[in-house]
Amino acid sequence: MRIFINECKKALTSPILITLLIVFSAFNIFIIVSSSDHKEELKIVNEIIDKYGREITDDSLKQFEKDIQSDLLGLTEITGKQFESIYDFLDGLRFEEQEQYSDRDWEFFNSLQLKEMYFGMANSIDASYAEIDVQDGARGDLKGYGISGKAAETYLRENEEFAERFNEMVDNEEHKEWFFAGKPYFMHSFLFKTVFLHITIESLLLIVLMTALITTYEFENRTQLLTYSTHRGRKLMKDKLAASLAVSTVISLFLFTITLGTYFFLFDYSHVWKTSISSAFNWENPFPYVTWWDLSVGEFLVAVVVLVFIIQLLFSGLTFALAVIVKNSYTTFFLVAALFILAWLLPTFMPKSSNLFIVTSYTLSTLTMAVSQSFMGSSGLILFKNFEWMTISCWTIITIVFCTITYKRFRKMDIQ
Amino acid sequence: MIVVKDVSKQYGDFTALQNVDLEFGNGLYGLLAPNGAGKTTLIKMLATLISPTKGEIFYNGKNINDMDDQYRERLGYLPQQFGYYKNYSPKQYLLYLAALKGIGKKEALNKIDELLEKVALSDVVNKKMKKFSGGMIQRVGIAQALLNDPEILILDEPTAGLDPKERARFRHLLTDLARDRLVIISTHIVSDIESIANEIIMIRNKQLLYKDSVADICATLNGCVFETTIDYGQLEDFRKNNILLSEKQEYGQMTVRFIHKGNSEDEWTSVPPQLEDVFLYEYRDELEGEN
Ligand SMILES: Nc1ncnc2c1ncn2[C@@H]1O[C@H](COP(=O)(O)OP(=O)(O)OP(=O)(O)O)[C@@H](O)[C@H]1O
Ligand SMILES: [Mg+2]
Repeated sequence: MRIFINECKKALTSPILITLLIVFSAFNIFIIVSSSDHKEELKIVNEIIDKYGREITDDSLKQFEKDIQSDLLGLTEITGKQFESIYDFLDGLRFEEQEQYSDRDWEFFNSLQLKEMYFGMANSIDASYAEIDVQDGARGDLKGYGISGKAAETYLRENEEFAERFNEMVDNEEHKEWFFAGKPYFMHSFLFKTVFLHITIESLLLIVLMTALITTYEFENRTQLLTYSTHRGRKLMKDKLAASLAVSTVISLFLFTITLGTYFFLFDYSHVWKTSISSAFNWENPFPYVTWWDLSVGEFLVAVVVLVFIIQLLFSGLTFALAVIVKNSYTTFFLVAALFILAWLLPTFMPKSSNLFIVTSYTLSTLTMAVSQSFMGSSGLILFKNFEWMTISCWTIITIVFCTITYKRFRKMDIQ
Repeated sequence: MIVVKDVSKQYGDFTALQNVDLEFGNGLYGLLAPNGAGKTTLIKMLATLISPTKGEIFYNGKNINDMDDQYRERLGYLPQQFGYYKNYSPKQYLLYLAALKGIGKKEALNKIDELLEKVALSDVVNKKMKKFSGGMIQRVGIAQALLNDPEILILDEPTAGLDPKERARFRHLLTDLARDRLVIISTHIVSDIESIANEIIMIRNKQLLYKDSVADICATLNGCVFETTIDYGQLEDFRKNNILLSEKQEYGQMTVRFIHKGNSEDEWTSVPPQLEDVFLYEYRDELEGEN
């Protein structure tokens, strides 16, 4: 245990780690705060859910419509004119007239505008979803990416299954739940793409650096002859692996807590945790986000955090295995970075007509970069239902095998 | 008891040691050979840091690599280049190494105080080692090797950087330690071990040359070592016919110590051979190459 703690200390007391953790946290907080102008507007969703319930039903929509009508009467009271919609009023508003209204009036206008927007979107759900043809979209994708042959077959087969899931999802009305409107606010991509990618890349950077540092510490400080001839000897590498994983956990936990803490402090998700992630409002791109499983926003968040955490531990393991052989922390760091990018680009080196094209996207790099679309069938070329667990399982095995081989080699290696 | 059996070590194509056979019981062994002879190579094999390309090393009949930690827990080792962490104090560093040696914290703390006292570092126990002189660092290294009260103590050039006073103290310490354990120290400084080693081991041309007591090794040159006084001008001629060991200038004349096998001349005084003489004689080719 003392050995393990000593190993952890080597990383945790390193000035680089402490400096970078502070810099990264500050950077993440800055990014979130500077994109939080619309956080007040988002609260209307919480109000809507409070009043009409999380699920969008015909009855609740009728009630919503009635309330908007009565708000429009309120508008008439303020303005002295009758409007069909707040938009009519706002469009006809001249610049000079704006000052006639008090701040409270404006608050009322804005809130009514948001309500009308959400009401309009909710009303058009059925029509919009009726227009979606999953299979047709897939064929378009194939043409767009220039994929043919076996790869195209595999893709279309999976897509067929996804089409079923899509229909089932529509039948279940998983999509008829309130969430922050996607097109104006892009909350999903902001959280799971921008913010998560920051956390992931930053912690990966630190984790790879620290794992390499712990593993090569003796060789870089020229104490290897002493440490590896002690009672613990080369088994010390086992402690180093354990310490690397522990330090990785600490780094990851720290960045996640600070960053997501800031995010959820600023953006009030309290009412939407249980909303389905496949909600019709969570629609930012030409195609809405649709998961393979019925996941709520909260469940999705937990799943993605766990996924990212596992990825990070695997990277720590892979870095360890490499560092045992390379014995230099910076070389190891750059090698891992190069391999990360190479693995990410791997599919582009493959023929687009072969299944290899699909198989080679099952890498930790691709998984990391596409984390916002995890567990989704709407994620283009990596739509595969088994993508996440298959990638994780394969790479867990690869990591364990790789670590075992290099550890066994190290046990016999000459230490100079 | 350690038995080195027919051991060879190759670094790639380069052979550092060839077919070395050795036996060590309790006592103090001096590994005496010039630079590059393979002392460190042999010691690293004894410390299980590198493994023989050929042959095996046994401790009490068991292969030391198979014994693994059971062998290493009996081992105290000071590498030729003693690595340390600059920002650690001797106490911190020894505590750290004690953990690796499997010594409990309480026990270690007592032992550390005792050892730092022994190597005269008691008053800098908590000072950062980056402020230490070379000799002080070396003494931390010696203390470190003794942490686990080893049955086998192997020190690779432990006296490098020590001043004469510390050398003397160190020789005392070693004699003390060698009473009930196996101590191997490597050096190319004859005086370090001459008076204290039970046996001297010499390696030449990658192979074992001598493994014997100082007296027996010296006896190989019995009757061949002489001293005489010559004129400075005669030196060149003299060098051609004899193997010069040392020369000293006195009153415009040279006093030379040399080896001559065969008939001696009257004005030469025969002197008892010293270990230094054997060293200079046996390694004359290597040493000449260096100068
Ligand atoms: N890792 C290595 N790779 C290649 N050659 C090596 C290696 N280590 C040592 N050698 C060579 O093996 C020979 C023996 O080296 P070694 O370090 O054992 O000598 P030594 O007797 O300890 O010398 P010194 O008194 O200078 O410490 C030398 O010629 C050296 O160049
Ligand atoms: Mg050496």
